[in-house]
Amino acid sequence: MSRKSHPLDPLFHPKSVVIVGASKTPGKIGHALLTNVLKYGFKGPVYPVNPKYEEIEDLKCYPTVLDIPGEIDLVVVAIPAENVPKVIGEIGAKGGKVAVVISSGFKEVGRDDLEKELLEYGRRYGVRILGPNIFGVAYTPKRLNATFGPTEVREGSIAFITQSGALGIALMGWTIVEKIGLSALISVGNKSDIDDADLLEWLKDDPHTKVVLVYMEGVKDGRKFLKVAREVSKKKPIVVIKAGRTARGMKAVSSHTGSLAGMDSVYSAAFEQAGILRADNVEEAFDWAVLFSTGKVPLGEETVIITNGGGVGVLATDACEVNRIKLLDPPEDLREAFSSYMPPFGSARNPVDITGQATHVEFEGAVESAIKHDSVKNIIVLYCQTAVSDPIKLAEVLVEQNRSTEKPMVASFIGGEEVAEAMEIMREREFPAYPTPERAVKALAAMLRWGRRRKLLDRV
Amino acid sequence: MIGEGREIPKEIEVAIGEGRKILYEHEAKSLIARYGIPVTKIALVKSPEEAAQKAKEIGFPVVLKIVSPDVVHKSDVGGVIVNLRSEEEVKRAYDKIIENVRSHKPNAKIEGVLVQEFAPSGVEVIIGLIRDPQFGPTVMFGLGGVFVEIFRDVSFRVAPLSDLDAEEMIKEIKSYKILAGYRGSPPVDIDSLKDALIKVGQIGLDVEEISEMDLNPVIAYPEGIKVVDARIILG
Repeated sequence: MSRKSHPLDPLFHPKSVVIVGASKTPGKIGHALLTNVLKYGFKGPVYPVNPKYEEIEDLKCYPTVLDIPGEIDLVVVAIPAENVPKVIGEIGAKGGKVAVVISSGFKEVGRDDLEKELLEYGRRYGVRILGPNIFGVAYTPKRLNATFGPTEVREGSIAFITQSGALGIALMGWTIVEKIGLSALISVGNKSDIDDADLLEWLKDDPHTKVVLVYMEGVKDGRKFLKVAREVSKKKPIVVIKAGRTARGMKAVSSHTGSLAGMDSVYSAAFEQAGILRADNVEEAFDWAVLFSTGKVPLGEETVIITNGGGVGVLATDACEVNRIKLLDPPEDLREAFSSYMPPFGSARNPVDITGQATHVEFEGAVESAIKHDSVKNIIVLYCQTAVSDPIKLAEVLVEQNRSTEKPMVASFIGGEEVAEAMEIMREREFPAYPTPERAVKALAAMLRWGRRRKLLDRV
Repeated sequence: MIGEGREIPKEIEVAIGEGRKILYEHEAKSLIARYGIPVTKIALVKSPEEAAQKAKEIGFPVVLKIVSPDVVHKSDVGGVIVNLRSEEEVKRAYDKIIENVRSHKPNAKIEGVLVQEFAPSGVEVIIGLIRDPQFGPTVMFGLGGVFVEIFRDVSFRVAPLSDLDAEEMIKEIKSYKILAGYRGSPPVDIDSLKDALIKVGQIGLDVEEISEMDLNPVIAYPEGIKVVDARIILG
């Protein structure tokens, strides 16, 4: 698939990476940036820039950007804020296209003047600016990790845009532990130039990204953001965690409407209009993103629950009701098929209870029946650990079945250590598995909401 | 479309010229009426005789309301008298309103009195517009009275509103069932409400001078709707 070139291409697939302010001292940001780029295995040339050194990490170090012999396009800048605008000028003169400005000390500390100067240099010299006040950018398909966060980012298909630096770095580490794979990780900080909308536009056509997750405190240009988000939502889901309340400022409101529009009701409405899924918290956002990262799209509403425990079946049924998931009344031939995988005291109605006697074999049979039957569009598998069943074998079966079908599948495994191991196997192989039935149901509900909204956006 | 280009509506030019931040009710109504939003019949009068004459033209019963830049809450100063059924009643009410306002606010500038058609009862809703700092003109919808005041049961959409946006924001409020008809009462005219919501969004896009607008109450009937009071605030 060929795509047109985009001004932000160098941010994600640079030919080379320059690090201005590279340092020899472990513990310094300029050191972490350089070693992350090298250790994560970026394929092109890497140029450290720092007048203090001849070489760093066995690489020749250059006094200024202008002294670099080869062509440059992506430049990471980690030097004191005062010096950044001038360096942007040098980057532009040398032909650099995008600067990732790590440095702090701009608008966030009241130096609006310095941020303005930075932008002016960027405009004048044709350099797009990510940041300032950020921890960097990573793009796993190109083995690019130009951040000062953890090194070993897992490859996957979730693009994560974050306005918060500290939370972003923390979550970066958390995704590694949770076996959640990322395609891109972008710290946007002050959003002086490149904003959420610009990044969404690029990610829309990125074949490696199946879902975009955004942590935002505020949006810079709301109308531009909505316009782009609406286009992206038609193609792939956007999940947003919006922190804080609207910056309504100190402006007095004198109408009824004004006094009612407080809090973030306008954000919620705007997100709804653009097809954006708003998550209440980080856990929920990643729960949803994990399901979306399978790349599946909703085929319809009718859902079956297959369980070996009556109790979790009821919990999931309640959660489906609350979250507007339609449970299928299985037609007779499907009920018959289900019945052949359960003892006589099981239930072939939805939730399908194959009872505590079930092993992975009965699960496999029941799930396969649901996959094969046209009336079923989504499948929820609930497993409670029993002495007669092996969660790891079941995990392996479900992973294969999930790969074999276009129907969205989610699972919830409840139990002890072996279940934890089984969950890890599933997560590693992109099966959306959750520790509680409610979380599995809510993830599926989010996917179905996106599916409904996507159809409506096409109509509008 | 009525909002041609960036022409400033005449009501707003007048208000700005007089240094007012708030349009008079009749100005606000004439502005929204040009967009095709149904409003009660009104006339601005300056004498009891004129009031009686206009009341006859509009049809009884009528409501009289004070028009003054210095009176924000008209009822609080005895500036509103309702259910006037004859020319005589209207004349007396005119004098009474002027007297009430003079005694409450001796220095209030009085522009005149508004004679307004009395709107039969129906379901009271509120339609609003604000200019959100991030998203621009944003339309609000809710049921009037306790639903807005106590439960804050309102919905929002950023302009321009699609037909779907308008439909969703009506159905989204918790008190929607009251609009859809309950206990034998007929459903209200949802299509007319949708139309008004879309038009209010359009006004927000066309007229940048407007910072906030309240159409409150708007009375919704099984067929049609009517804006009974309108308030437009300039930014």
